[in-house]
Formats: sequence, structure tokens, C-alpha cells
Amino acid sequence: MLDPALLARLGPLQVRARKVMEGVLTGLHKSPSYGQAVEFSEHKEYAPGDEIRHIDWRAYAKLDKYYVKRFEMETNLRAMLVVDASGSMAYGRGAMTKLQYAAVCAGALAYLLARQGDQVALLLAGDGGPHAGVRGFVPFASSPTHVQGVLRELENAAGRGPTLLPAALDFAAEKAPRRALTIVLSDLFDATDASIPALKMLRSRRHDVLLLQIHDREELDFPFDDPTRFLSMEDDRQIEAQPRQIRESYLAEMRAFLEGTRRELARADVEVQQIATDAPPDRVLLELLARREAA
Amino acid sequence: MLERLTFAHPAYLWGIAALALPIIVHLFNQRRPRPLAFGAIEFVLRSQRQKARRLRLRQILLLALRCLLIAAVACALARPSLKPRGAQTAAAVGPQATALVLDASLSMRYRIGSRTLFEKARSEALAALDRLGPDEPSTVGICAGAAGFASGIGAPSFDRIAERRVLQAAQPTYLPSDMTGCLTAAAKALGESPVPGKRIIAFSDLAAHSIRLDAPPPLVPSPKGPGVKPNVVLVDAAQGSDLPNAALTAVAVRPSASLGPRGYEVVATVSNFGAQPISGLQVSLKIGQATLAKGFVDVPARGAAKKTLGAVLPPGVALGRVELARDDAQGLDEDDGQDFIVHVPRDVKALVVDGSPSSLRSRDEAFFVEAALAPARTGGRITEQTLDADAAANASLDPFDVVLLLNVPPPPKAFAEKLRQAVSKRGMGLFIALGDHVDPDAYNDALGDLMPRPLHLLKTAAEPGAQDAEDRAARFGVIEWTHPLFRIFGPAEREGLESARTYRYALLKPEGAQSAHTLASFDDGAPALVEGRLGLGHVLLYTSSASRVWTDWPIRVSFLPVLQQAVSYLASALEERQPLPAQVGDERPVAAPQGLVVAQILGPDGKPAPMRREKQDQADAVAGPIAAPGLHRVQVSPPRGAPHDDPSLAFVALLDAKESDLRRVDESELKAQLGGAGSAQVAASSEAAQGSHGTPLWSGLLLVGVLALLGEGALTRR
Repeated sequence: MLDPALLARLGPLQVRARKVMEGVLTGLHKSPSYGQAVEFSEHKEYAPGDEIRHIDWRAYAKLDKYYVKRFEMETNLRAMLVVDASGSMAYGRGAMTKLQYAAVCAGALAYLLARQGDQVALLLAGDGGPHAGVRGFVPFASSPTHVQGVLRELENAAGRGPTLLPAALDFAAEKAPRRALTIVLSDLFDATDASIPALKMLRSRRHDVLLLQIHDREELDFPFDDPTRFLSMEDDRQIEAQPRQIRESYLAEMRAFLEGTRRELARADVEVQQIATDAPPDRVLLELLARREAA
Repeated sequence: MLERLTFAHPAYLWGIAALALPIIVHLFNQRRPRPLAFGAIEFVLRSQRQKARRLRLRQILLLALRCLLIAAVACALARPSLKPRGAQTAAAVGPQATALVLDASLSMRYRIGSRTLFEKARSEALAALDRLGPDEPSTVGICAGAAGFASGIGAPSFDRIAERRVLQAAQPTYLPSDMTGCLTAAAKALGESPVPGKRIIAFSDLAAHSIRLDAPPPLVPSPKGPGVKPNVVLVDAAQGSDLPNAALTAVAVRPSASLGPRGYEVVATVSNFGAQPISGLQVSLKIGQATLAKGFVDVPARGAAKKTLGAVLPPGVALGRVELARDDAQGLDEDDGQDFIVHVPRDVKALVVDGSPSSLRSRDEAFFVEAALAPARTGGRITEQTLDADAAANASLDPFDVVLLLNVPPPPKAFAEKLRQAVSKRGMGLFIALGDHVDPDAYNDALGDLMPRPLHLLKTAAEPGAQDAEDRAARFGVIEWTHPLFRIFGPAEREGLESARTYRYALLKPEGAQSAHTLASFDDGAPALVEGRLGLGHVLLYTSSASRVWTDWPIRVSFLPVLQQAVSYLASALEERQPLPAQVGDERPVAAPQGLVVAQILGPDGKPAPMRREKQDQADAVAGPIAAPGLHRVQVSPPRGAPHDDPSLAFVALLDAKESDLRRVDESELKAQLGGAGSAQVAASSEAAQGSHGTPLWSGLLLVGVLALLGEGALTRR
């Protein structure tokens, strides 16, 4: 498995993402069979030149006419990677920030998907940009060049500003009208509490939604002792506190948040995987893939 | 009582300045937290909102506990104590060499309820000893007796165990005390300690009699110059309350003729030292266990009253006691009773042998003797019977203790023999007076060895009635005034004996019994009164007449007492001078009877009392110093024999009456005597007396500090 500290020293994101992808592939017994989507569309009366093998013999038996089955164009899976690039995702005093960790995971997934011919899009959620909540967008494609574009976009991403994930998810829904796999990488630290409804809404549009909720180990354990002035990374809020005195309360709040998120989204059939940035990304992805395969 | 806070080491109070530390730390923590950009600030905000009030309270509590911890430790190091307001004058900073002086005088036996002042004072002294600081040397002295400390007072030391033992073993005495002398000695002892602070704590009843206000104040000797005034604290064992007391201050015992033979009246002097008069106080007279008389007396406040109780006492040595009714509430029980000893003479029966009876009473030879021995004059103690010589010769001598031969012709042999037997075997006394019927040679023949010395011839110094008879008559010259016959004469009364004129008397031959002893002689040197001893009895030979025939002595006032004494002496029933009582604390010489040795002296408790001899092989002894009041019996023994009681040597020891007066000394005068209010104080308890300590608070403060530390730890860990 790839230790995040080691991974952080591997240089550009391309290298890190590839390493993760290789780790994932090594861990899989066989390649994932992201099957081609072949969906029946309509019947039409046979006309010369149509493929005889497409004649629907059952319809002929009933109607005594030749009908030819027409199909949707055969296509690969579409996957939208939504990476939260808000200020809170820039936190991380270990090997990687949450955003860097999310970028590695997203990059590795982009590699994996593109490798099997699936189309991958990237949406960087954050402030600014042409659309509300969208700092950058790379449309669906599956070519290696496209993956490099995705990785570049990820590498250049900087965590800043408030979380506008709901707006970004709206945008993602617009850009992927057809049923697609939407993988959201975020800490879901949203002061407005609108992110979870937005994820539910996405799911209600028949998107396959997967949330990789990423947190730093310090956010989970709150290991501080000295009096600290905590500064918000998304706005100008700040608070002075004695961490030892509020640790219990903080941890309870955090547990309630994680638990609540998991419960709420599970109820809406959104898969959630909660990850700490000190976990090896390849193992995280491997477990994710294994679970989806089993499902 | 108002109390005052003092500190033994006030310099440590600067430690309170360290309070600034937690405050600075608190403020520093408040103002300089470490900034940290944090992703999950939302949860921090929510937690802080929940806990904000509690946290602020906790921080204030933490600050308070830390401040309390520092303040408590600093104050505890300064060793604070609470002292009564009155104690401030004698307070001194720093350790003090301390002398604890415990009054063990008689007055400390004063009882309030069931507890004596001494017991209270001893408890206070023990508590005071416990309260002394570890750096304060101390010494203990038990103040009793005129010498100040009964067994001295040592230099201050740190041997608390030994000092505690001395205090615990201390017992009240029956002696008076000289508190002034004790304080002076204690101050001197304190001079041997290098500790600069000096303090004397005396536990006493502050009775005025024990303190000499005109004495110089106690000074601790200093090598650099004049002495240093110590802090003197007098702890009042009575705690300021009045100590009323009724005491039996004197008992006088004298014969009472109105009560008949051996009738005595006992005059008890009852003093009331209280401010309230006492009425109906019962006085009892006891001989042995039997109460012979009771009476009641009213005693005015601060006054005295006498109560006379009469009783007929048994002959011999009577041991008696006068007692006052005990006051159950309070009082000094020891002075409510007084023992006394009376040597009660036995009755005497005398046979007067009238050698020249006369129908004219005044001419009768026995007239003056009978008059002198008349019951009215002897209190009935002497019964006399007069017979003429013939009748006497045939009478039995057994009932008589004494026979007086007055101008009797030479007695027949048989009578003389009867006399000799009675004198030598039975101890009967014989008095021989001469006269015209006496022929010296015939007398010598008839009486033989009954005569102390044989008669020689008769001498006429002057013819009675002659012109110059007064001048030529013989007078008594040398008289043994110390003899029982004459010791009743004081210097003023001797004239009555010396002025008697004797016209005719017998001269004695120089030879005679070895025991013959001339008690008086005439101015020409001729014996006038000679004592002889025969067997168990005594014989007195008067060389002149018992009537006015040869002398005018019978009409002199000195004749009657000498004759009465002579009869009593011969009958061994002399009314002895009553033994004088001894004083507790004094010594008393005890003279051993001839041929015997004073073996031991038993105190009132029946145990041997202290005794010493001036010389190793001396028979006499000196009893004392007498420790307890009451009857002291003396045991004598032959040189190598077993000891036995000699009641005639017993004596009574009396208490010092001034100890019964428990009126307290005036406090202001006392302070002035001790060096002024700046260095002396009077306190009600030893707690108040601990000049530099008072009620110690440091242990409590340390406890507060420890609790603050625990509280701080608990709060910090949460």
C-alpha cells in the first residue's frame, strides 16, 4: 500500500495518481468490467439494407411484419468527479492536505476510468468561475490526453473560499443529463448544511452518487492542547479556545456529524465512504471498488 | 474575646506577591493563543458555544484556586496565629526561650466543683508546653515553699518529654509560695539560653499573698549590661472569678474550770476571706472519731469570728480536731480543719498530814496548804484529805498520789516504811515541810533514805516579830527557774517568790542520795527546796515550814502556784505546757527522753516523715521540712530496742493561714511590678498566654493549600 507520506514525495500529481492506480490494479484480481451500455431504443419496419440479424422475429410472429430492432448507440460509463476545492479542503498538516488527497484519489480514478474507456469529467467546486460554485470544469471524455487535462486541472486547484458544493452539484446535474456516476470528494464542511440535500437531489435524478468524505486526522481526533485561536479557512470567523476543555464536546459534535451524514445519505441510497488523509489512497480505492463490485 | 492575627515569620508574607504569577499566566493564556487555520472550525464554534460559560467559570475558578494555593502557602510559612487582644503586649516576634512556672502552693488546692485550681493550672501548663514552637527551648519549675522552686529550675532545653514528665508528676503542696521569688529565679534561668526572646508563663491563682509588689521586677541576666525584661504572662487558674473561702485560722485549747475536772474549752477562730458574710457555719470538735461538740458561727465578710466549744477530755495526751462544714461547691478544704494536742493532766489525790492541827484555822499547820489545794483553785483536779499524824499513820496510803508531811513529828517506823514502799514501788510523791515539831536527828532516823539529804540543824535567821527581822530574814537566792515547779513564773512574777522572807530553816548535811538536787536555795546558800528520787517516786524536802511559823512565804502569791505545781509534779500529773504546733514547711526539733532515741517521725498519713539529726549519734532529731498538716507522731526506742510511740512528743503541724486568703492581687499593680504592661500580662488561659503563637492557623492554611492544589489538578485534568 502507498503510504500517504511517501506518496506526497512522489512529485507531480500525474505520477502520484498513476502510482495509486497501479496499486489499485495490482490489488484487483481481474480488471473491472465496466460493461458497455447497450440499450433497446425502438422498432422500425424492415427496409432493405437493414441488418437481417436485427429482425425481431417475435414481432413478425405477432404482427406478420418485419420489424427491425433499433438500439441506442453503444457507449462507455460516464463518471463525473466533483472535487471540493473550498478553503476547508486546504487543511492538512500531515503529508497532504485534504485537497491534495482528494486530487490523488480523483486522478487515480480518472486514470482507471479512462483506461477502460469510460468517459470522465471533472468539476472543481469552489468560488469564482463562470458558474456559481464551479471553479473549473473538464467535460466528459476518455482519451489519455483528456486524463492529463483532468490531472492538470486537479494539480492547479487550490483550496480557498467558501464551500458552494450545492451549486456545483446542480451544475454537474446539468452537464450530465444522462445517468452517470458522480463521485464527490469533499469534507462536506458546509456552513449552510445544503450539501446533503444537494447530494440527495442528484441521486433523485437517477445519478449514481458516491461520496468520498475526506478528513484530516487532526479534524477527527482534535489532538490540540495549547490555547489556540482557531481561524476559519473559508471566511473570517475565528475563536479562541482551550482545546483540552472543549475536546470532548468537539469530538461528540464531529461524531454526530459523520454519523448523521452517513445515515442521511444512506437513506437516500447515496454511498458514502469516510476517509482520513493518513489512510493509503490505493487501499481506500481498492476497498471502494471491491465494495461496488460486490454490489 | 476579640482576637488579633499575628505572624511569627512575617517576611514570608512577601510570598503573596507570587500571586501575580497565576494572574500573569492567566492573562498570557488569554491574550496569546496560538493561531491555527482549521477546517472544522464549525465544530469548534459549536463546542465553544456550549461550554463558553462553564469554561469561563472554570478559568476563574482555576485562577482563584491557584491564587489561593500561593496565598495559603505563603501565609502558612509566615506562621499566623490568632491571639486574644489582651495578649498583644507580651507578644514577641520569633522564638522565645520559655519558662513555665506552675504554682503548687496550698491555695492552689482550692476546689471549684470537683476540680482544683492546681489541676486546671497543670492542664494549662501541659497545653502551653505542647504549643511551644520547635525552635523554642523551655524549662519547667514547680513553685512552692519559701525557697521559691521546690527543686530548682534548670536551663531551657528541648527535652520536652522530661519537662512534660515534671509537669505530670507535679502535685500541689501544703506550703505557701513566693511567686515573686519564682519569677525572679525563672528569669535567671532564662539567661542561660542563647535564644534572644525570653518569656515566662506562670500558672497561678494570683493570690495577693504570694506576690510581693515592692520587689524589683524579674530580669534576665545579660552579659552586656543590665538585665532584660522578659515577657511575663500570668495565667489565672481561677479565670478571674472570686475565690471566697472560710478557714479555721486558729485553735486555742485551755482548761475550763466551769466544765469540771479535765474540762477544756476549745476556741476556734474562723476567718471569712470572701466578700459575702457567712451565717450558720457549723464548727465541730472531735476527739478521735467521736464528735464531742458542735456549734454554729456567723462570720462577717472579710472578718473573723470565734467559736468556743467545751468538752471534758480524757486524761493523758488528747488528740483532737476542729472542723468546719465543707462547702461542696467550692473552697479550700485543707484549711477547714485543724488538729490539736492537749496533755490533759490526771486527777491527783493528796493526803495532807497535819503535824500541828489547831482549832484556829489560821493557826493550823495545814491551813495554807489546804487553801492552795482547794478545788476552787485547782479546778477540782486535786482532791486533798487532811489527817493528823496519828490518823495518817494508820490510814492506807494506796488511794493517794501524794502525801504532804507538814511539821509532822518523826513518824513511827511502820508509817515511814509504808511511805517508803509507796514512794519507791508505786511512785507516790512525798512532800516534807518542817516546823517546830521536827527534830533533825529523830527525823533522819525515822525517814532515813526518804530524805533527799539528812537534816543537820535548825538555823534561825531572825526572830519573827523582831525589829530588824525583815532585813535579817533569809530570802530565796538561787532558784532553778526552768524546773517544772518554777517555770510558770515569768520574769515579772519572779519578784513574788524572791520577796518571801524566811526566819528559820533547817540546814542539811552535805551527804545524801546521789539523786538529791537543790531546786532553790536561800540567799546564804542553804538549800531551801531539795528534790530526791527514790525508786519510782519523787520526794521534795522544803527546809522551812508550810505555815507562817518559820516563814511568810505561805501568804505570798507565789506560794499557791508552787505548791500546786509541786503536788502535780510529785504525782507525775503536772499540767504540762501544751506543745506548740509546728508550721508546715518548717523544721521542728524533737528532744528524746532520757535514755531513749528518736527512732522515726510519722506524718499524718502514717508514713515516715523527713527527719535528720544534727549529729550522727545524737538521740534527738529534727523533723522536717514538714510536708503536710496534721498530727505527727514520734516513735522513740531504747538504744537497741524496738520503737514505740511516745504521745508526749507528738506535735501538730499547721498550715500557713495566709494561704487561706485567696484574694487576688490587683492586676494593674501586678503588671507594674513585673515591668509594666509592655512586658507583662494576665491571661485567663494558656491559649491566650502563648504570646507568639495563640491559636495556630498554619496547619489549617496548609490544608487549604493542599485542597486548592487538588482542586486545581482536578480542574486541569478535565
